[in-house]
Amino acid sequence: MTREVLGVAKTNLFSKIKDFIRSDAFIFLFPAIILIIVFFFIPIVVSVYMSFTPLKNWNIARYIHEFVGFENYWRFFYMVTHDPTVRPIFITTIVFILVTLAINVLGGLGLAIATFFMGEREAGSTQLLWLLPRMTPIAVYSMIWYYFFHGSAIGTLNSILMSLGIIHKPIDWGQSIIPWGPWLIIIFVNGLVGVSYGMIVFTSAISNIPKELVIAARVDGASNWSITKNILIPLLKWHIVYVTTWQMLSLLTTYDHIFLLVEWGLVNRYYGTTWALYIYNMAFTAAEKDLGLAAAAGVILVIVGAILGLLALKILGFDKMVKEPRGDI
Amino acid sequence: MTYYRALSKTAGIVIAIIIIIGIAAGAYYYLSQKPTTTTKLITFVPLTGDFNKDIINVGKALEHDGIKTVQLSVWSGGDPNSIMRIYGIVEAAYRINNIWKQNNINVEIKVSTRYVSNPNDVYEDYINKWSLGQAPDIMANGYTYIASLASEGYILDLTPYLNNYTSFLNQFYPTLINAMKWNGKIYGIPQDTEARPLYIRKDVAACAGLNLAGLADKIKNGQFTWSDLYKWALKVKESGCAPWGLIHRKGSAHPDLIQFIYAFGGKLYDEKTGKLVFDKAAVYKWFVVEKTFADHGLLPHDMMSWDWAKQIHPTVVDGKTLAFIGGTWHWFEWQTKAYYTDPKTGQQRPLTAEEVHKYFYYTLFPSGIKGKPGLTLSQPFAWMINSKAGEQNPDYDKLKDLYHELVFLVVVKASDPDIIAIHSLISGHLPVTKTAAELIKNQTWVNELKNLKIKLAPEVLNNIKNIIEKTVNPLNVQFLANVTYMLEYTTFTPKHPQYPKLASLFAEALDQVLRDKMTPAQAVNFIVEKINADPDLKKSVEIVGEIPQNWTFP
Amino acid sequence: MSAGLRDIELRSRKTEILMVVTALMFSIPLILGYGLLILSSFSKEMVTNLNPKDFIPTLRNWFLFFEGRTAVFGGIRVNIWHIVLNTLIVALGVSFLVTLVGSMTGYAVSRLRFSGRKKFMALLMLLHAFPGSVMVVGIYFLYLMFLPSYQMVRLYSFFFVIVARASLEIPMATWLMKGFFDMIPWEVEWAALVDGASRFKVWRRIILPMVKPGVAAVMLFGFLAGWMDIIYVRTFLVDQTLATWIESNINAEYSYLPLVAAAGTFYLLPTIIFFLLAQRLIFTISATGVKG
Repeated sequence: MTREVLGVAKTNLFSKIKDFIRSDAFIFLFPAIILIIVFFFIPIVVSVYMSFTPLKNWNIARYIHEFVGFENYWRFFYMVTHDPTVRPIFITTIVFILVTLAINVLGGLGLAIATFFMGEREAGSTQLLWLLPRMTPIAVYSMIWYYFFHGSAIGTLNSILMSLGIIHKPIDWGQSIIPWGPWLIIIFVNGLVGVSYGMIVFTSAISNIPKELVIAARVDGASNWSITKNILIPLLKWHIVYVTTWQMLSLLTTYDHIFLLVEWGLVNRYYGTTWALYIYNMAFTAAEKDLGLAAAAGVILVIVGAILGLLALKILGFDKMVKEPRGDI
Repeated sequence: MTYYRALSKTAGIVIAIIIIIGIAAGAYYYLSQKPTTTTKLITFVPLTGDFNKDIINVGKALEHDGIKTVQLSVWSGGDPNSIMRIYGIVEAAYRINNIWKQNNINVEIKVSTRYVSNPNDVYEDYINKWSLGQAPDIMANGYTYIASLASEGYILDLTPYLNNYTSFLNQFYPTLINAMKWNGKIYGIPQDTEARPLYIRKDVAACAGLNLAGLADKIKNGQFTWSDLYKWALKVKESGCAPWGLIHRKGSAHPDLIQFIYAFGGKLYDEKTGKLVFDKAAVYKWFVVEKTFADHGLLPHDMMSWDWAKQIHPTVVDGKTLAFIGGTWHWFEWQTKAYYTDPKTGQQRPLTAEEVHKYFYYTLFPSGIKGKPGLTLSQPFAWMINSKAGEQNPDYDKLKDLYHELVFLVVVKASDPDIIAIHSLISGHLPVTKTAAELIKNQTWVNELKNLKIKLAPEVLNNIKNIIEKTVNPLNVQFLANVTYMLEYTTFTPKHPQYPKLASLFAEALDQVLRDKMTPAQAVNFIVEKINADPDLKKSVEIVGEIPQNWTFP
Repeated sequence: MSAGLRDIELRSRKTEILMVVTALMFSIPLILGYGLLILSSFSKEMVTNLNPKDFIPTLRNWFLFFEGRTAVFGGIRVNIWHIVLNTLIVALGVSFLVTLVGSMTGYAVSRLRFSGRKKFMALLMLLHAFPGSVMVVGIYFLYLMFLPSYQMVRLYSFFFVIVARASLEIPMATWLMKGFFDMIPWEVEWAALVDGASRFKVWRRIILPMVKPGVAAVMLFGFLAGWMDIIYVRTFLVDQTLATWIESNINAEYSYLPLVAAAGTFYLLPTIIFFLLAQRLIFTISATGVKG
């Protein structure tokens, strides 16, 4: 009896796959499926496997056969539970993600809507200006803000405030106002980059709204605010959900915009480091690149990210947003 | 069935394109293979130790094996004046090509180069490109990387080759050869080294009435220690001669400030166990010294965050500090970078050699204990040879021993006295062989160099001539000759892969001490906690000693 | 992006000015930071505060940069145009691939019914939790597996980096395009399909032009991803790109920073050009007359 059931199940799966391959969807999905399998699944499996080896210095040929079980994971947890500096880093990560996320989404939205109400030239220049952080090499970007927030008289912010008479001595923003100083700096630096993402997405979405809607509302005498509230924002719901979840996952794993600021001594090490940076430093400060440890820590980070991502999708009503397609006749 | 038609049409085109590309690639690959020779290949040439003989034999062997061109690549990094780390190899290849030409050997070496500002980046690129066959054949980088590179088998063990070249090996200072070893075998040839002098401003000292006569000797013999320097710095501050008493590097404690540990008789490495050592007493004393300087306004509280180009160098060069813990290359850097604000014109410009000589006195790093000699610290650079050197060349599988021999001989040639001497004269690093040190003292030769009359490969000469103009002059030569004695008092940092982690803990703790966030005792305990929190560090570091209870400074 | 939907009629001049002023106020640090960067590239010293003595005008940094040098004295010379070309190849390749695959997948997810659709979308979102730095070891393994003979490695490395980097952006592109495809009324497609066109043709000829702003956004992000990439390029590409060149030459201790400022400023230009082009491409909004 079971055999028949299994047999039926098998043919069902098989015919499902056959149907899928014959369908239109297959043509459109084929490239993505191949690329995802080759460049996501396989590497993930390999990376997970490597987290169980003592891989160092990219010497895959040598270490791929050495299996050390959960030793890398054990080392990771040991370090995290014994390191006296972990608490500030943990708090910093939470503050960093929440505040930067809010800035990224609201800022992006604000910019998109503001440029909508501007003349074309001003809108274009504003968007270009706010895109610059995303287009700058990270080392150069870090250099700009390193000099901007520098704690001595050579710092841009200090020299402006001093020449305006607001302060009389330079303030060491990143190192002496703990924790708000380093928090402000890392959130600011990352926020500037993140805002442009939402800005572009929302602006493109607004561009796609039929002209007639807005013109009709104008003719009816609607104010800017009511146009925003009643037309723009409702039509941007999907994009807002998308940008929020997306940015949250990005913020969880990003470290490159903060790395140099800590390295160059601009911000206090403990309140200027997030989880992602802490993990990166854990594996890469020694002369030998501890890739096995990095893989293990990465796996843990990803699991946390996946859980948070799924949660976010649930909270933001992902199910309702994904309408059933009616594209088939 | 519309989708079938669409599918088959697109799929058909795609498949056709793939097939065409596949055939083209296969044809190209096939045609680019050399036909296999049936004659026996010479795969190895016994080395005699006579360079000219050996290189001619290798050349003849290569010619016999049908090799016309040998492609080699060399990578390095560092300050802009140290490009002989690359051009030394280019010059060596040029000289070898000339020898071959004179002996009618129709083989040529071609060298491709890469030189960037961050030697650490070069190391990281090396290790990730090695498995992909894209690492350079020769890399000049810090000796500390030998530990990881040798343990992974990424670099060539040079001991068998050097066994035939003992007189060559003996030219190098013995401590340097030691630094090139890992597990008893030699993995690198010294490329350069340096010393880290304590620079003292002659004008600031004179203003405060401090007599510099014989100071270098006193520090050398341990008669002048950090306590004395502290008193001097206080005097300078009190007399208003300069705002600061001591300036040092930012960011990391390694390598300049590690000298404090040695100055107080501490160790960093236990040869017997092969482990790192954390010497609580020595580190404690180091932190107390720096804290005392900072508390009295002699050393900036945020020293670890100062900006090199806009704060550190201008402060030193403009005479705003009594002392600076620096390196021999700074003497040259002050002459090629515009850190000085000319009081007459208000313009920023480099110092002239005369001015550097006029303003700066240089000594060993003082010890912390009376009677203990002063010291310095060197971080030699090493020529390292890829364990797959020559793999970009034809028939590598069969001829690899021959290629390895050739690359070894190239590095031997790059250690010619004049190449080492040129590097030293233009960059401020110190020569690694006695013959090169002698050559630097040879006035005639130095003059020929200054007038660009030395015979060098055109590519090399073109690229170094503007540096030669700026840096080769009698005062600089004298400086180099004068600091050579420091090499006898030099120390090294451990070649242990976990050492960088330990060093960064020192920097973290020191920063907290200078900013008054931790006392020296708390900082020492903090480091102990961090060491114990990291399983790798915990098993690699011996924690020795105790924080002394009644120790005061000065 | 900026062009199409402008609030043409009955726009109050006052609100417009208010918007511009508010945006300007928030933009001040940006303007300052980048202004000083550009200024520093024309100065012999880094201009970091309002000290006028720091600004010593010169074109030297730009000449040095175009000669591929890293310092005023010393350093070696590289062919900077070759490096720029390498970066362009990667950026354009990634942009093209991401746009193509993203619009196809986005369309499927938006308009076609297939089993596992919701799971596929959630999967795409979760894949973004895997940053490149986590997967780079696995991708290294892949690279090693398919490594060709020595002569082909350079070409292979370009191809590999483009495809690997583009794959990383597919989740982003798919989700983005889905949002745009969702906004198109069903009737448009029905009309075309009823007329006998294949799905693919409908997508290519009718639907795609209607989501030009989305396509432009994806093209831009794809270009940025390729242009800015450091991790994959550094690990896999045999040649150097501008990003890796700048990164390996910025060293707090020895680098001549005004030259870095010039390199950094130059680095912005191609993306600025690309952004302006992308804007132009979507200037005409398709205003097909189906009332929303």
